[in-house]
Amino acid sequence: MRRILTIVLATALIGGAFAQQIRIMGYGGQDPAILVRLLDEVIGAELAAEGITLTYEPLEGDYNAALFNALSAGTAADIFYIPVETAPGIIATGKVLALDGLFDTAPFIESLVEAYTVDGSVYGIAKDFNTLAIHYNIDLFDEAGVDYPDANDTWATFADKLRAVAALDTDVYGTCFPAGFDRFGAFAFATGWQPFDADGATNLLDPAFIEAVTWYTDLVREGVAIQPSDIGQGWTGGCFATDDVAIAIEGAWMLGFLRNEAPNLQYGTTFMPIGPSGERGNFLYTVAYGINTDSPNRAAALRVLEAITGPAAQQWVLEQGLAIPSRTALADNPFFLEGTPEATANRVVFEGAADGNVLGFQFGNIGTDWMTPVNDALVAIMTGQATVDESLTEAQRDLNALIERAR
Amino acid sequence: MRTKRSDTVAAYLFLLPFLVLLLIFFVYATGRAIYFSFTDYDLFRPPNWVGLRNYAALFADALFLSALRNSILFAVIVTAVQTFLALVMAAVLNQKVRGIGFFRAAFYMPSITSSVVITLIFLWMFQRRGLINFLTETLQRHLPVLLAFALILIAVQVVQVAWERRRELPAAWTDPALLVVSLLVASGATWLLVTTGLILPRDVPPVDFIWLQTRDTIPSGAPFWLSVPIPLAAIMIQNVFTTIPTFMLMYLAALQDVPKSHYEAAAIDGANATQQFLRITIPSVAPVTFLVLTLSMIGTLQMFDQVAIFGDAAPLRSVVTLAYFVYDRMFPGAQTPEVGFAAAGAMFLAVLTLVVVLLQRRLVRSEGY
Repeated sequence: MRRILTIVLATALIGGAFAQQIRIMGYGGQDPAILVRLLDEVIGAELAAEGITLTYEPLEGDYNAALFNALSAGTAADIFYIPVETAPGIIATGKVLALDGLFDTAPFIESLVEAYTVDGSVYGIAKDFNTLAIHYNIDLFDEAGVDYPDANDTWATFADKLRAVAALDTDVYGTCFPAGFDRFGAFAFATGWQPFDADGATNLLDPAFIEAVTWYTDLVREGVAIQPSDIGQGWTGGCFATDDVAIAIEGAWMLGFLRNEAPNLQYGTTFMPIGPSGERGNFLYTVAYGINTDSPNRAAALRVLEAITGPAAQQWVLEQGLAIPSRTALADNPFFLEGTPEATANRVVFEGAADGNVLGFQFGNIGTDWMTPVNDALVAIMTGQATVDESLTEAQRDLNALIERAR
Repeated sequence: MRTKRSDTVAAYLFLLPFLVLLLIFFVYATGRAIYFSFTDYDLFRPPNWVGLRNYAALFADALFLSALRNSILFAVIVTAVQTFLALVMAAVLNQKVRGIGFFRAAFYMPSITSSVVITLIFLWMFQRRGLINFLTETLQRHLPVLLAFALILIAVQVVQVAWERRRELPAAWTDPALLVVSLLVASGATWLLVTTGLILPRDVPPVDFIWLQTRDTIPSGAPFWLSVPIPLAAIMIQNVFTTIPTFMLMYLAALQDVPKSHYEAAAIDGANATQQFLRITIPSVAPVTFLVLTLSMIGTLQMFDQVAIFGDAAPLRSVVTLAYFVYDRMFPGAQTPEVGFAAAGAMFLAVLTLVVVLLQRRLVRSEGY
């Protein structure tokens, strides 16, 4: 018995000296397959030559709960995903390595670096990002004889176009509007409204916010827009793929879904409509890689981070139509100008990050809980259960309590 | 003496695997949780003792109060409804009828189907344009036709039975042979009425009852502690549907043990079916009723999965239960986990469950069983 143990230990020690095993924890879904292909086709050989092997450990289900558990138990991987909306909490655990002086953040888009900066230190390197764009169903617009949405649309002209297409048939709607701040917020930002003031307080009763809520929910009340759940869909992409709606407001993540679910759907993509402030509003959604402070292989982990966020890897991810790269140098990538619907959609989403009032999908240390009162209010208004004023007053009260708790 | 001691040792040895698991995963875990409930632990920083602050904070938290209300209403209503229905169903399935095996298996299906799958299916049925609203609308639309059918059916049956009785033949009002004839006549007559356009489905506005995305309660405007949020009522319906069969099976087993002679004696004494059910069946299965009530109470007080799957489909406050509250505070938005606070909630839930079961034991026992 003792002899076997010795052999096992010795093998582990010798093996450790030659090959370094780096673990990455991230989402489930399609991410494990993407990383395997990225390794096989782009960065795997290079890393293997340096004696580094990579394994990907998908955390299925509630990613944040699983990651907090792993971090606390000391079983977290060397590198893990940090979703932007929960980044403050994850960084606050003290388990994420500050990258100051260890990693060059200059080649990355500034707003993405900022989303992961706490007290002047950078804790995560964005793997990619997304913004919202208007994807329109070419056939439905042609059938209705309506001009396609374009970059000059304001809220008013945009709504008129939706009305015109929705008039086609009782089963056709202008768009799906979910009762969620994760989409609606982009419209709120287009009024110049911001979720937090200098003191970290939220004002939902700001006339600008009320204007956005009224515009968004009125389209639903009018029957031009519809909640996805009311036509048996879970999200706007589902509404769009089944030709139920003329436009979808989603990010580039919808493209892969359309490729599989609606390969014959002819679509175009343009920018979000211009809001009352004269600017567009948009969200910046992103996920970063962070390094575990307790990682025994810090140097190798940094080397892996460099490779998976490197130009070669990002170029590959972009060309596969998987995500928008986080490196500024890829902005004038020839891929964006290929003219295919997917390339155009990717370009619009990429440029959306620097066009108008763009805010990160982040709510300080309150996290996604911040959205709950707002979402409840949107539902109540859309379904006609309460007026805008009543709902927002109640939401404001709930939100004040939430902010108070988090302080 | 020697053998006795070695017997005890053997017994403990057999118990050992279970005891080890119990010690690690129950006793130790509970001890830790109790300790954490008095601290401000967040999984990452060493815990500081804060006394009863977490418990005091619980009762100042609006979400916790909603969770407490929801849990108690859920437990009481669901337990009452499903215990009653399970007994009725078991009594029905205890008959000697051809093909009863099929019905027993079919009725048991909801219990062996995954709770997650059933919840997802119910989520679809409860949508604004889901099956439940659609069926309600269809029913309302065809009400005149159904009413006509029912009236004709009753009329034909009455005429037939009256005819038989005039011929001095014994015929009950529900005589099956005559009922078949009545059904055929009523179906034919209704079909005629509809095709000739004398009776047509009416136009009704689409039913748009909001089951999920609402903060409304039943009865609306009732005091906080007595109002059932509508989405919670939806979960209640679903929970009753999925749990009845398990309890039905227990009742079925108990019913098989009730001597047939009791029913025969009662029948000779002139007791009808309802009297037999109330005076023989219910008292005979009393011990099982206690078991069912206890299991149901514990199960419903700790209900978690259905709320978790409902997720964003319904406002959190309308469906949150104590168990879900604990989970929600354990992994809040973007803050570090509030382990201390969540543990206090969990301890409260444990004590509440214990008290409820003890109270119920007292009540059921005092009735003399």
